[in-house]
Amino acid sequence: MSQSLRPYLQCVRSSLTAALAISNFASQTSERHNVPEIEAQSSPELLLNPLTISRNENESVLIEPSVNSVRISIRIKQADETERILVHKLSRFLTARAESFFILRRKPVEGYDISFLITNYHTEALLKHKLVDFLINFMEEVDKEISEMKLFLNARARFVATSYLTPFD
Amino acid sequence: MLLLDYHNVLIHSLLTERFSGAPPASIDQIASDFDGVTFHLSTPESKTKILISIQVKCFRELVQYGAQQVLEREYGPYIVAPEPGYDFSVQIDLEDLPADQEARDDLIMRLALMKRNAMAAPFERAFDEFTQLAEEASKYSSEAAPQGVKEGGDLMAIHYREEEAIYIKASHDRVTVIFSTVFREETDRIFGRVFLQEFVDSRKRNNISQNAPQVLFRNDPPLELAGVPGLKGSGEDKVSYVTFVLFPRHMTPQRRFDNISHIQIFRDYFHYHIKASKAYIHTRMRKRTADFLQVLNRARPENEEREKKTASGRTFRVQA
Amino acid sequence: MSQINYRTINIDVLDPESSVNFPMESLLPATLPAPGTSSDAAGVASEVRQLLRSGDAEGALRHALDTAPLAGDDRAKEVHLATVIEVLQGIRQGEMLRVLEGVCGGSGGSERADCLMKYLYKGMAAPAQGNGAQSPRRGISPQSTGFSQIQPRNVGEGGSGQQMSVLLNWHEKLVEVAGTGSIVRVMTDRRTV
Repeated sequence: MSQSLRPYLQCVRSSLTAALAISNFASQTSERHNVPEIEAQSSPELLLNPLTISRNENESVLIEPSVNSVRISIRIKQADETERILVHKLSRFLTARAESFFILRRKPVEGYDISFLITNYHTEALLKHKLVDFLINFMEEVDKEISEMKLFLNARARFVATSYLTPFD
Repeated sequence: MLLLDYHNVLIHSLLTERFSGAPPASIDQIASDFDGVTFHLSTPESKTKILISIQVKCFRELVQYGAQQVLEREYGPYIVAPEPGYDFSVQIDLEDLPADQEARDDLIMRLALMKRNAMAAPFERAFDEFTQLAEEASKYSSEAAPQGVKEGGDLMAIHYREEEAIYIKASHDRVTVIFSTVFREETDRIFGRVFLQEFVDSRKRNNISQNAPQVLFRNDPPLELAGVPGLKGSGEDKVSYVTFVLFPRHMTPQRRFDNISHIQIFRDYFHYHIKASKAYIHTRMRKRTADFLQVLNRARPENEEREKKTASGRTFRVQA
Repeated sequence: MSQINYRTINIDVLDPESSVNFPMESLLPATLPAPGTSSDAAGVASEVRQLLRSGDAEGALRHALDTAPLAGDDRAKEVHLATVIEVLQGIRQGEMLRVLEGVCGGSGGSERADCLMKYLYKGMAAPAQGNGAQSPRRGISPQSTGFSQIQPRNVGEGGSGQQMSVLLNWHEKLVEVAGTGSIVRVMTDRRTV
């Protein structure tokens, strides 16, 4: 697992480092507005080529850079129904708390499980390499968390079943 | 608390207190139990006469399968006319209790098990039917068995909840108990499937539960329920049918009482653990979210709050 | 006409002066090579394969990157992507760094590095993005399955996991050689591959 995980994360790390070169840029469509161009999509020349990094068809990261904001979407591995529901629960839990995760996007981009939106204000206030660290750490931990929760569920189910059936002896 | 209690704890503790010689007081309390069962404990006439009434959704069906007899056997002398709005009532006179402590405890327990006893009737009937059928079947070889013996007894249906039911069917070598259970939510359905799979596998895997009943589950009505009207579910995943196959060793007179209690509690036990798992996963996610936030906050540059001094070395003080 | 909900019409699109209608062609440099077609790309592919078969992996990669159809149509780009990926998969992991240093050195080396970087990202985007701007590519996966002796065992599913793993390895090496700037140029360069 970690054999192909390491290059994957490494690739995400270098791509993010490159993509997070963003600067303040006021909207050119409406005066005195300053919006993330990647969300507004109002000026095609301000959007850069999106990058996709995938480990396989179930795990990938989409980085959509623009002049003043970067949108990062992560597709988390979901091998079966249980993992699917766990990922769904976790991502919903997180997006419900997007307020405190200031870079979290409230709604994932279509086809992905969770999205982040980093604007120039974030990169100005926060240390860029630490932001990248956070995203990498997030990807690592989410996978771990999902598989741990799945293991727990199976272990509990097994234990519950055994202890229910044992008194019948 | 892994396994659930069979009796109603509230009734149990209330009666224990009353029976232990506490000064008589008036009671008017409604207690709930699993499967929408409601109890009403009150002292309508005098403080020493406690009336306990039970309301079960499917009481009419239970009576059909002999609940009245079972309840009469259990509570014979205490039975009174049912309180309006309830299905069955008993009255206990505190001045007329059994003398020795052991009999009192037994009475308390028996009253606390009222729901169990009401629901036990169809099971008892099925077990009796099984004994009868087994005797009949032993007269024939398996090929020559006449149709009636092979088919076994009638299917008994207990609609103990909205949309959910227990079906019991006796035959000459087993009693089949089928629970139909509904998952309201997607998560419950998937967790439920994980749990049920473990129930099914547990027999194969574990030597301890080798003697346990066989468990099967499926989303469409099993063969035993063929021809039962009003069955939902084939096609949609919301309904699951869980089949327990009880073998003769589960129906011996000495195991009978416990096993009936135990199988009754299945649905509650099962759903209870699904909810518990969800709660646990929720706390886990909360913790994990806190961890993520901590990592994210590391990205904040540390603002060292140094004391600002003027050129002459004086400091500013914030006016409160 | 009465069916149209006028409130949902984006009037900016109708305004030729609007920034939504920015002429994207003006961002392309004038020195773009002549547009290639898919048959041209197929011609290049056979040349590259020839080089690969003769054992000149470095030459094959260099040739493939030099002839990238920057101005070609989608079909030509697809064919060429398959060619590049084939070359990348044909090079053993141990040789990657040596080949890369060769390809990215000399005159035009950094252009080739950037071009390779574009292909790496495009290769990773291809099978996953069925509905994206780039058309889906499925043709490459059969070849990747024969590659199992180089990447021992990938837990990821099937052929695409294998192929991604190769691309990720290349990516890592290429960043080492060409630096992060190369990734920035992939994002900013309008001459897509």
